[in-house]
Amino acid sequence: MVRERQRNGKLVNKIFPYCMTAPAIILFVLFVIAPFIYGLYTSFFQWDGLSEMKYIGTQNYSFVFQDKNYWSALGNTFKYALVVTVLKNGLGLALALLIVKQVRGKGLFRTSLYMPVTFSYVVIGVLWTWIYNPTFGILNSFLTKVGLGSLIQGWLSDPNVALYSVAWVDIWKWIGFHMVLYLAGLQGVPNELYEAAEIDGAGKFQKFWSITLPQINGILVVNVLLAITGAFVNNYNLINVMTDGGPFGSTEVALTYIVRTAFDYRNVGKANAMSMILFAIVLVIGFLQFRVMTKEDNYE
Amino acid sequence: MRKKKVTIGSVFRWAILLFFLVITIYPVIWMIFGSLKTTGDFYTNIWGIPDTFHISNYIEAWERGGLGRKYLNSILVTGLFLLIIIPVNCCAAYVLARVRFKGRKLIYMFLLVGMMIPAGILGMPTYSVALKLGLVDSVWGIAFVYAGQAVSFGVFLMRSFYVSLPQSLEDAAMIDGCNRFQSFVKVVLPLTKPGIMIQVVFSGLNTWNEYFLSSIMLRSEEAKTLPVGIMTFVGEYSTDFPQMFAALTAATMPLIIIYLLAQKQFIEGLTAGATKG
Repeated sequence: MVRERQRNGKLVNKIFPYCMTAPAIILFVLFVIAPFIYGLYTSFFQWDGLSEMKYIGTQNYSFVFQDKNYWSALGNTFKYALVVTVLKNGLGLALALLIVKQVRGKGLFRTSLYMPVTFSYVVIGVLWTWIYNPTFGILNSFLTKVGLGSLIQGWLSDPNVALYSVAWVDIWKWIGFHMVLYLAGLQGVPNELYEAAEIDGAGKFQKFWSITLPQINGILVVNVLLAITGAFVNNYNLINVMTDGGPFGSTEVALTYIVRTAFDYRNVGKANAMSMILFAIVLVIGFLQFRVMTKEDNYE
Repeated sequence: MRKKKVTIGSVFRWAILLFFLVITIYPVIWMIFGSLKTTGDFYTNIWGIPDTFHISNYIEAWERGGLGRKYLNSILVTGLFLLIIIPVNCCAAYVLARVRFKGRKLIYMFLLVGMMIPAGILGMPTYSVALKLGLVDSVWGIAFVYAGQAVSFGVFLMRSFYVSLPQSLEDAAMIDGCNRFQSFVKVVLPLTKPGIMIQVVFSGLNTWNEYFLSSIMLRSEEAKTLPVGIMTFVGEYSTDFPQMFAALTAATMPLIIIYLLAQKQFIEGLTAGATKG
């Protein structure tokens, strides 16, 4: 009897970890791995999403490589990612440097600037579409009032400007987030380093360049990677809400073009081929991010 | 001489900070003002406070947009998502961190692969798979899809909490007669509340605001969540601006209030969520 119970206990112990991980594995396989493999699989078929699939080998991929619209959409994706990454980090770091020594009002700035992070892209997209509105929007009205009327643009209707107008809304949403991250990094820099540098006669810029930057290097890398991945795969929301790719395709990014190809042109096979190409591109960034984030995590 | 220099510097600094404060806050205030104006007032009085507080905008927007239903759907999706993801991730992360078994490393690495596949890439194929499983256009279905896509992050995050706990805690619990599962639930789980909090704030907010996948998957009015519903409302009633602003405000206000009440948890949770996972 005792031996049997022990054996049962052993068996329970043996399958226990597998039972505990099973739900996670099932969910993960169903909604991450299966879609990924299915997407890869269907990228070799001609398929409208409804009727019979027809195997066409790598033809979808050669269609994509010849598709000028996809490359211009990818170009826009890169432009958008570059602008967004540079400005989110530049402004976030600059603001963090400005308030790091502040005593009064620091909490107010932090709370206020961080707030847009919690808003949905839909709400801020619609809101900023109105701020940019040529007639009733507050941006042009403000520019006129302060005598900068010459700067008035068709913020969302001018093909040369629209992509940057949308990018600004993304930047606006995330400045506070990056500022808080940088703030945490800056507060961790030991004061003695600055004091020592001052004794050596270092100027403000020198101190920033040779003390602050190396000291916050880790947090800088995390910030930049977060901004890049965010820019590549989150741009669908704002662009869909604000311009839907227009005017004249000037704000078409990879994801909006993929969804359009699948749902409007009913070419799911080609859309999935485009998804895979985009994946190959972001994989490099994703891998870097993965390495940075799992670095301290030593798995034996 | 020196004192003057400092003053100019600090005035400059305050000016910049104030500028960013205004451009962050004013759009939100403008939205609230706009939601209370009459249509005429909206066109003629772009900047200022409304003439009269036109509360009826809210009532009409609420009814026309069916916002009650959309609110309920968003609460259901986010609630169900959290109910699935917290126990699932905690159980998996716990054994991956604390129990030695065959295939442990393999399972962990397999689950982590998901962190390299962004949700945007999966959008289209996920729709096709969900269609096959009959999960399209359903509040329950999309909650499961979100849960599947939050596994990698959650397991990675929770594991880092479990790894740091001392082994002696569990040993003590097992000597007291607990089995593995009981010691996990009674002793280990309560100690990792901060990790659970991060998941609730970070993944919960992501799900509450999610638009890309829900705009593909939720097509009928009965199934739409708040972000998709707001977008439909904007498309249909784009000429009635004060009502549109009322809908936006109604969708945002509760979040602003929760944020202001629990800003510490929000900022810590979102920051830790983004940097840890």
